[in-house]
Amino acid sequence: MSTEQNGAPAEAAPKPGEAPKETPKETPKEAATNQNEKASKDTKAGAEEKTGKAESKSTDAAGDKKLTGAELKAKAKAEKAARRAQQKTSKEVAKGEAAVSSSPGQLGPSAGEVKAKGKGKDGALAAAAGAGRPTLLKAPPSAVVTEQKIQIPECFSHLSMARRIPMTQADKDVHPSVLMLGQQMATFTIDESITRLKATLLAFRKIEYLTACRPMCFSMGNAIRWLKLQVSKIDMDASEEQAKKELCQAIDVFIAERITVADEYITEQGAKHIKDGDVVLTYGRNTLVEKAILYAHSTGTKFSVLIMDDPYERLGQQLAKTLTDEGIKVTYSGDFGGLRNHMRQATKVFFAAEAMFSNGAMYARAGTCDVAMLAHELGKKVIALCETINITERVATDSLTYNEIDPERSSAAAFRLMFDATPDKYISLLVTELGSVQARSAPDLLRKLEEFN
Amino acid sequence: MADVQDGAVTRDLPLRGSNADAESFDIVATYHRLLKEDPDLTMPMAAIEALIEFLGHSQVKTVYETIDLVKTQSEKLQAAVRNPIALSHGTDLFSQYLIMSLKQPASSSGSNGSNNSKSSPAPQPPLDNPHESFEVVRQHLLRNSRLFATRAKNARERIAVNGRKHLHDDTTILTMGGSRVVGNLLGRAAQKHDYGWYTDPPRQFRVLYAVDPALAAESEAVVASLRGQGVPVATVPFTALAYAMATVDKVVVGAEAVTANGGIISSMGTYSLAVLAKASRKPFYVAAEQHKFGKTFPVDEFDFSFDQGVINFYSDNTKEGKDKKVTMPDPIDFTPPELIEAFFADHKVLTPDEVAKEVIDMLM
Repeated sequence: MSTEQNGAPAEAAPKPGEAPKETPKETPKEAATNQNEKASKDTKAGAEEKTGKAESKSTDAAGDKKLTGAELKAKAKAEKAARRAQQKTSKEVAKGEAAVSSSPGQLGPSAGEVKAKGKGKDGALAAAAGAGRPTLLKAPPSAVVTEQKIQIPECFSHLSMARRIPMTQADKDVHPSVLMLGQQMATFTIDESITRLKATLLAFRKIEYLTACRPMCFSMGNAIRWLKLQVSKIDMDASEEQAKKELCQAIDVFIAERITVADEYITEQGAKHIKDGDVVLTYGRNTLVEKAILYAHSTGTKFSVLIMDDPYERLGQQLAKTLTDEGIKVTYSGDFGGLRNHMRQATKVFFAAEAMFSNGAMYARAGTCDVAMLAHELGKKVIALCETINITERVATDSLTYNEIDPERSSAAAFRLMFDATPDKYISLLVTELGSVQARSAPDLLRKLEEFN
Repeated sequence: MADVQDGAVTRDLPLRGSNADAESFDIVATYHRLLKEDPDLTMPMAAIEALIEFLGHSQVKTVYETIDLVKTQSEKLQAAVRNPIALSHGTDLFSQYLIMSLKQPASSSGSNGSNNSKSSPAPQPPLDNPHESFEVVRQHLLRNSRLFATRAKNARERIAVNGRKHLHDDTTILTMGGSRVVGNLLGRAAQKHDYGWYTDPPRQFRVLYAVDPALAAESEAVVASLRGQGVPVATVPFTALAYAMATVDKVVVGAEAVTANGGIISSMGTYSLAVLAKASRKPFYVAAEQHKFGKTFPVDEFDFSFDQGVINFYSDNTKEGKDKKVTMPDPIDFTPPELIEAFFADHKVLTPDEVAKEVIDMLM
């Protein structure tokens, strides 16, 4: 039980961490001190109460339900708390107080929220969806500690980075397929937010290891919150088998509705905006944009494509190959050289959002904002494609509050950020599966989605 | 109870009968007839009335079948006209209304914006059977189909009340086109209005009317009517707009359809007028009923499902019939929301951003 008590402050910390999303952090340091204050306050008041609640909840459960389930829950909970405590102390040693604000291990949107509120349910999730592997949570991932080798400047310590955890260091209970997925995410073989989300949903049971490999994207956070809701809806009397079955079904439906069908609809709607004679400019490669272009081509529209590529990850080459194979005329530029000239020839610009913030800003591959601003300056229309699962309730007015550091290019002196935020005024149209709206209507869509639930 | 049993039978044989009905009913002809019969009817309203008439002809008793049939009929109607935007806003609104009223049988009214009054008839007990409740909705619609047209006309009156507060004494209002809503708004503002607790005296304003040769007849009618009501009106040709803009205080126009981003689709020339108004920093207002709001979201002037054939390059060397296009009869253009100050709608006065929000709430 002593671990339980230690765990409490660690849990209380992420919760106030949510507050700064309204008041943009000027400097991470300021925010961090702020939070430490709050956290310590919370520790006194909230934490005890919370653990008390959680405990009583689990004991309640123990009283009513089969002993095994309750045991599992309690065990998983204790382990989780212990792990969290360890994670926290290790970070604190390494980075000092700044680490508290949003520790790299849990950048994920809602990571704090989910952990803070999901207490009792966490156990249930582990027990129900954990595929009968409560031991999964046992071994505190030692990888998290070794990660500290990578040095980045203090003021950017709130940003996170994908980590290559050597296979040997992974928990022995991690399923090989998940291990593979984790490695693919860490090496950016699986890169786009939506593909990562899909893969993650399919492998949801091993979430801990996956987030250790690469910080969660916003949609993953959204989906986890959704999954917790589903878990909470499950009848407590239902057998573990039954609960697992229900959850898996729910996940399948979720993937079908929010990803597969959504993608199809967005592809179609996006393609409608491509007209005969258009020159479509896009940046890098994104599956949705590729699908929309291919769809427009398949309906007989005559147009050409201009691909501006990201010199750090030349995924545009892949796109160029796919499109030329289909007989679409493609102009390729490996970097932003001559961007203005290319933009003059373009008629429309297509992007896909990695995430949409609640103020209408679009989170996408670093460089997107530059292209969008130029398009705006030259009066070209910018069309963003995005599944609603990628809309987050968070707000970003700059590219530094939420971002990720390229693990390939990071040192104390210099590093590369992988994303940027494009303000809504540079985006003409946001195509989602609910309909086409202005970028700044993103929060209205969120509200609409909540109504559906 | 007979209804319920019929419903059960139809559910067993879902397609028999209903298809025959759907085929024999000509929705396109009905739509055009309705428009012709009542010159005051707007396109979205005519589409809704045509769909109600169709419901009267169909014998379908199940909810999903009906929603499906309404969808097919809407598509048929949209395919039959060259510019289906305004019409599609009507059919979208109607199918959304059907879905909403079936979801919450008793108290659906509130959630559907302007439709609140046309929803469920008398207060009714919550119905467990969706097919039974659907029959109630259907019967109500059929009994009150003319209500839609009446409401549309009432909407015009409410716009006149909402808009008059924004027409001040000793100002010059610039307008164009043959919009009935604007004609009514200006005409009513020139008369006194009784709020019940206070009688608003007639507004003393002048009207500068830009005459588009293509809409000369409609414009003449509006100008004559305004002059008849004692409003001083000057007419200028379209070419004189930039020249005359300095004498204008406000611009008020009508719209064929209002888009999801709070822009408008209106007769060709409206966009030019809005650009000129913006350049001279004159506020540009749009008077439009809420039923014209819809999901259409054009990113530019050419982002429509149809080609208007307005821009047509050719030389003497061009082969006849090959590159020559025919311009559409009633060409339209799209005015983006940045150029619009506010909308005078029947339920309230609202900004383009609020329109966008309402469209999401109402139709998505």
